Amino acid sequence: MMLELISRNILHRPIRTFITVVAVAVEVIMVLVVVGLTHGLVTDSAKRVEGIGADVMVQPPSASVFMAFSGAPMPIKLAGKLQELKHVRYVAPVLLQFSSSGRLDIVYGIDPQSFALVSGGFVFHEGHDLQNPDDILVDDWYAKARNLHAGNSMSILEHDFHVAGVVEHGKGARLFVQLKTLQELSGAQDKASVFFIKCDHPDDATAVTDEIQQMLPRYVVRSLKDYMSLMTSSNLPGLQIFINVMISLAVCIGFMVIFLSMYTTILERTREIGVLKSLGASKAYIVRVVLGETTLLCTVGAAVGAVASFVITHVLVHAFPTLVILIQPEWVFRAILIAIVGGLMGAAYPAWLASRRDPIESLAYE
Amino acid sequence: MEPILETDNLWKIYHIGKVDSPALRGVSLQIMPGEFVAIMGPSGCGKSTLLHVLGGLAQATRGSVLLDGNDLSNMQDAERTQIRRCKVGFVFQRFNLLPTLDVRGNIRLAQHIYGNEFDPHRFEMTTNVLGLSHRLHHRPSELSGGEQQRVAIARAIINEPKILLADEPTGNLDTANSDAVLALLRQLHRDLGQTIMMITHNPEAAAYAGRVIHMRDGLIVDGIPA
Ligand SMILES: Nc1ncnc2c1ncn2[C@@H]1O[C@H](COP(=O)(O)OP(=O)(O)O)[C@@H](O)[C@H]1O
Ligand SMILES: [Mg+2]
Repeated sequence: MMLELISRNILHRPIRTFITVVAVAVEVIMVLVVVGLTHGLVTDSAKRVEGIGADVMVQPPSASVFMAFSGAPMPIKLAGKLQELKHVRYVAPVLLQFSSSGRLDIVYGIDPQSFALVSGGFVFHEGHDLQNPDDILVDDWYAKARNLHAGNSMSILEHDFHVAGVVEHGKGARLFVQLKTLQELSGAQDKASVFFIKCDHPDDATAVTDEIQQMLPRYVVRSLKDYMSLMTSSNLPGLQIFINVMISLAVCIGFMVIFLSMYTTILERTREIGVLKSLGASKAYIVRVVLGETTLLCTVGAAVGAVASFVITHVLVHAFPTLVILIQPEWVFRAILIAIVGGLMGAAYPAWLASRRDPIESLAYE
Repeated sequence: MEPILETDNLWKIYHIGKVDSPALRGVSLQIMPGEFVAIMGPSGCGKSTLLHVLGGLAQATRGSVLLDGNDLSNMQDAERTQIRRCKVGFVFQRFNLLPTLDVRGNIRLAQHIYGNEFDPHRFEMTTNVLGLSHRLHHRPSELSGGEQQRVAIARAIINEPKILLADEPTGNLDTANSDAVLALLRQLHRDLGQTIMMITHNPEAAAYAGRVIHMRDGLIVDGIPA
């Protein structure tokens, strides 16, 4: 009976219902897409670093988990010292540089030989490895997004490069140039941002990590396993704040829309509330009617939003192949819960107001 | 036999700004179970106010209201609501049906608020008596005034209230529909022993009742309990 009363009310004002449902859906979409985007970004970059295949990484003092934000690079001659350590098979120095042409890309400056030794080598879809100073390698996703092929030229870091090859994605960055070239372009002669180390055996990673840490006490030395476990959006303070702000905004929108929607509804239904009271409905009963209606609206809106999030994600990923959006199942539940709880909070005051209406005044309401 | 309803020196004072305006000024009355009482009096003499206080919709300012042995004047809003739910059925001049629910929904809503599961037997009996069986799936807007008021009466008696309080139930109806509604009330009173208290302006309507109470300026001017 309660459900019949509530659903009749909802169907009675289809436009109000529609707008409310859409607003709640937008709230859920905002949460899911923002969280999915940041999670995708972090996971994607972590996966790519993992894909290099190194066992240990060495970064300069006070380096961030997010390599792109690392501080002053390290002298490249450290590579020689690292190479001499027991259980270290290969060392690949890499210089990292942001390119902000159009959108943010990370460029790896690599020494093709050592990088190939550590990573097991690129899989080439087109072309060949870096040979000339102006050569650049792009991964297949980047090539697809920009419609690039081996032999094309492209400009990045205010420098004209010749696309030497298109390689399978998943080895650190999407763009690779010669270490020397990048050192010159970024004024970091004989420097590297990170050393990727391949051990004799993956089990040696802990021993090698400890050994390097003793040798270079202030440097950040991590096994890849530790690195992967640290690569979460919550470890990047700015990102977590961004997520929290976006979620709060979304919840505010949901809260306010539900507040207004239910507030106007109970005003419009003042007489009906009076009727319920004359029939002996308690305050709790009235509150249940208002909150029940809110729950139904929010649940439908949240379900619509969850489905729409997947559709939007699909469309976005199709339109921008380098974009990675990962919607985690637990966040779907979280977003729905956030929408419903936020909505109930928005409806709390209108429900309370309705429940304490004077029955006679309500019945006299025109 | 105990009265079903008894008031003693009942006052209701409305405060409008700084002015006190007494709507009831010491009403004492008794209604016995199974009575059909009409209340008459000029507009503004306090009839509706009396009905609201008797049914627990409003709080008395002074004096006592005993409804089936419960003193409403000492009660908090929540307790009065519960007494109203269990013992009182209201019928208003303006029908006051929920426009979004059909006839069945409107009547079932009263059962739901009362806390009863759907009782098909009681439901069928009530809708039959009130001649609504063929109208169950119509919305109020699809019904005539007389039909709407019959739905309101069905809703008021579905939970077998101790007393039915009707505030000018025929005030919005033409003569034919008025007569039908009044005949129904008399039938409920006679066949089911329903206690009824009905406000009316119309002497012909009052003639259906077993006793008429006249009010003026917040006071009963005759019909004082014998
Ligand atoms: N909510 C209210 N606030 C202030 N005065 C009221 C209110 N309701 C009724 N009154 C006043 O109380 C008196 C009795 O009203 P009412 O009981 O409605 O009379 P009746 O039903 O006999 O026409 C009238 O003077 C009316 O103006
Ligand atoms: Mg009146």
